Amino acid sequence: MAMKPEEVLRAIAAGRGDAICVPTMTTAPAWRTLAPDDLSITCVGFMGGASALGLGLALARPERRVLVLDGDGSLLMQLGSLATIAGARPRNLVHFLFKNGVYHTSGAQEIPGGFDVDFVMMAKGAGYRAAYTIGDLGEFRRRLPKILTEEGPLLVELVTGLAAETPMTARGGKPFHQQAEELRQRLLRVGA
Amino acid sequence: MPESIPASLIIDTLKETFREARGGGRHEPLGWILSVPDTHQRTVLAALDKERAIRVVTCATEDEATTAAAGLYLGGEPAVLMIQHAGLYASVNTLRGLGIDGRVPLFYMIGLLSREKDKDPRESRHSMVRYCEPLLDTFAVPHARLEGPDDLELIPEYYRLAQQRRGPAAVLVGLETI
Ligand SMILES: Cc1ncc(C[n+]2csc(CCOP(=O)(O)OP(=O)(O)O)c2C)c(N)n1
Ligand SMILES: [Mg+2]
Repeated sequence: MAMKPEEVLRAIAAGRGDAICVPTMTTAPAWRTLAPDDLSITCVGFMGGASALGLGLALARPERRVLVLDGDGSLLMQLGSLATIAGARPRNLVHFLFKNGVYHTSGAQEIPGGFDVDFVMMAKGAGYRAAYTIGDLGEFRRRLPKILTEEGPLLVELVTGLAAETPMTARGGKPFHQQAEELRQRLLRVGA
Repeated sequence: MPESIPASLIIDTLKETFREARGGGRHEPLGWILSVPDTHQRTVLAALDKERAIRVVTCATEDEATTAAAGLYLGGEPAVLMIQHAGLYASVNTLRGLGIDGRVPLFYMIGLLSREKDKDPRESRHSMVRYCEPLLDTFAVPHARLEGPDDLELIPEYYRLAQQRRGPAAVLVGLETI
């Protein structure tokens, strides 16, 4: 049975420490309730951008982990970011890819290729330091501590079912510009 | 008549811009260039290869370049986007979503490849050249033309403007750099 995305996110929220988190699409509503903090930035309005936003943050803050909580349709939209990330070699970046096989937020249309798309192979081919797939929650919980400390860039493909809420069914949360300013202020405070 | 600008002058100006953005002091790197290679500014990119003080991240698309620049900004690092007009057209949704709705300062240096020396860009034979300023106007993005070494001050000025207005600002590189 595929993992529930909320359970995966709960495990990440419990283990992330002071990592910066970059959710998008259906990871966003659940993340908002699990981790209502100023170290997260939800990507809306520039589909596919979570991975590159995470890259910029990871390069700016090498002392901190950056966790991207990406969608499969979103990554397909900016698939080149795999090579861009691999080329820039951010050691502190973990790219979690929530593979639900569909564009859930826009009505659950199947993504091109559906579940057959192999993001692990793509990330490895692009030059990520490591990439693997996990489809079992127990295994995910067991491996998470290492995932959160090992050298990146790392892609973890998470085979999941559909989230209970999408950004369309659970609207709200702070606007991007407000989250962005709060995150920046927080990071500048720490860096000073 | 517009004139070509030597790469070394652009790089010195970028360094000054980054130093000012950081409020002085030493820092390694001084600043970041996000680039999808622009034919027009290739001598600058070539010279940047040898520059240790500025780190260049080559991106596969201008969407990624823009978004990575935003991530660097959120992390407190100064960044400049170096792209060409076609790259601006390719990344308009990201400009809108991050620069306008997202209120992220984004400073662009945009090369006007194929711009005719004796023509105003708005009258160019080439659609790539002709539509650049009108497109920026549509999104109310302030822009200025870098038409020779005397215009280099526009780089720090428009960089500052992007920070002040919390949004995009652009300088257009009129002729191929040398
Ligand atoms: C440029 C662009 N094209 C299309 C859309 C419409 N759209 C909104 S959400 C979405 C699906 C997102 O799918 P995925 O990244 O797999 O996330 P999920 O909803 O499955 O978590 C699409 C296609 C958009 N927002 N932006
Ligand atoms: Mg999906």
